[in-house]
This record gives sequence, structure tokens and C-alpha cells, in this order.
Amino acid sequence: MTLTIDVVKRSGRRPSEAFDRNKLHRSLRAACLSVRTPEGEAESTANNVTDAVIVWLTAKPAVTSSDLRRIASAHLTRYHPEAAYFYQRHRTII
Amino acid sequence: MNDFDLASSLAIVLLAAACHASFQLSISMLTLLSGHALGRQTAHLRLMRLVGSFILGAGIMTVLLLSFIALILGVLLPAKTPLPVWAAYAGGVIGVGVSVWLFYFRREPGTTLWVPRSFARFLGDRAKATKNSAEAFGLGLTSIISELLFAFAPIAIAALVLVQLEPKWQLIGILLYAGVSLLPLLIVGILIGGGHKLSRIQQWREANKNFLQFVAGSGLIVLGAYIYVERVLATAIAAVTGGQS
Repeated sequence: MTLTIDVVKRSGRRPSEAFDRNKLHRSLRAACLSVRTPEGEAESTANNVTDAVIVWLTAKPAVTSSDLRRIASAHLTRYHPEAAYFYQRHRTII
Repeated sequence: MNDFDLASSLAIVLLAAACHASFQLSISMLTLLSGHALGRQTAHLRLMRLVGSFILGAGIMTVLLLSFIALILGVLLPAKTPLPVWAAYAGGVIGVGVSVWLFYFRREPGTTLWVPRSFARFLGDRAKATKNSAEAFGLGLTSIISELLFAFAPIAIAALVLVQLEPKWQLIGILLYAGVSLLPLLIVGILIGGGHKLSRIQQWREANKNFLQFVAGSGLIVLGAYIYVERVLATAIAAVTGGQS
């Protein structure tokens, strides 16, 4: 499934970029692995959440990266609350 | 040799180290470093090497800073530290304690610190990019320097106390300070090594951040007040009464 959606970066300082399914999948998978989730579970959780986010994205011409993160977090919370916590808090640790 | 007893001097060093230990930047950076390493599926042994190198870097920078400030004070100050210097230090430490109460953690979700956001992003990016022991060691060094705005107060007060002691006790004091100030990092390192989830560690930190802030600020205020009473007031009163009490 190919989506041509612009992702507007935080605060607009960096140029927007095309939505990249793999990038979202990698970040979700890393969040799961960070909280010591087994690899297979991390993979399937990342797949499920990425698919759910893509459903939400359909028919949208552009989204902000923070909206993308918010929706991904909401879906991740359903599948893996601990990974979702780490995913949400990642930028607020320091 | 000074007029103050050794136990009192070491108690000040230990309290200063405990205040330093309650600062959180190094722990935040270690949490991020470990999170990214686990996210990359880094092998456990390699992860522990990264964590160990980070803690070693933080420890070495603490020892270097404490020794450097003690050296400077040893050169600049006479053998018996003048009362105004003690008074200025006491005031400075109390001021930093109040600043910790007011500014240390930002009033927003997570454990975001006073660090400017652009610099926090830089530190976060560096933690993400750290893949080998040398980089982790450098990150550990950086974590201590980055917190110097607050950590300078306990380090400087410990240095001022240490320069009054005999060389043997100076060395012991430096090691005590480094050991105590690194305890939280060591505990987090052991938890990570033991397989604890970073989310649990971070949740605990977030739930207790107000308490940690209160403890760090109060510790510094108590330290400053103690120094003022013991090193300034007591000395002044002894001078007025001719040492009779």
C-alpha cells in the first residue's frame, strides 16, 4: 500500500517529508524492544500499530509529526501499555 | 591543619555528595542510552559495557572536577579559610538549593529538566548515536559537565572542605564523594543489568520527581545552613568569647 502523505515536522523548522511506513514501524519496534519485549511480540505489535495508523492516515493529504506520534501512541497503548509509555515519554526524559 | 574536626568535614563531604547524587541529568542520559541500545537489540554484554563506560566517565569527571576545584582553592586561599569565604559559600549553596526547588524539573509531563530544550535534544541525539564504549565514556563525562550549573555548588563546597584536610584524608574524601554521588547511576546500571524494564525505572522517576527535587534542594539548604552555623557563626562566637563556651 503506497501512501503519499506529507508529514510536517515538529515546530516546522525542518522540511516536511513523505510518510514512511518503515520509519514508523522501526520506531514502534524499538520502543517495544526498549522495554524488553521479545522480538516476535515487538514485531507483531509494531505491525498492528503501523497498520492502524495507516488506516487513520488514509485520505489525509498531510499530518504533523506530533499528530502521527499521538495516534501511534494511542494505538500502541492498546497493544502494549509499557512500550507506549516509553514511546510517549521518549522526548521528555531529559 | 584546620580547627574543624575530621568527622564534621567528612560529614559535609558526604552530604554534598548526597545532594549531587539526587541530581538527575546523568540518570536521564543513562536511561536514554540504555533505551536506544535495547531498541537496537544490543547484546547484553555490550549493553553492560556501554552502561559501565558511561558510569566510569561520569565518575572520572566528578573526580577531576572535585580535584581541580580543590587545587584552585588550595592555591588561592590561605591555609585557614577566611570567614567571608565560608559565608559566601554557605550563601551560594543555599541559593542553589532554592533554585533547585524552583527550577530543577520543568512543570510538564515526564522528567524534563531545566536544561535548555535545544541542548536537551542534542544530548538525546548523542545518547541515540552512542554505539561503543568510548562514546559512552564521553557521554558520561559530558553528563556531569552539563549539570555543572547545579552540581558546582556541592562539588565546590566539598572541595573547600577537603583542602583543609591532610592529603590522605583528601584522597579518601574525593573517593567518598565520587562513590556517593555515583550511587544512583550504579543502582540504575545494576537494575538494567538485572533485566529490569526501563519503563518501570522511568515511571518511578516520574512519579517521584517532586520528591527528588525537594530532597536535592532541601539537602543543599541544610548543607549551607550547617556550614554557616559550624564554620562561620561558631568561629565568630569563639573569637568573641576567646574560645570559652
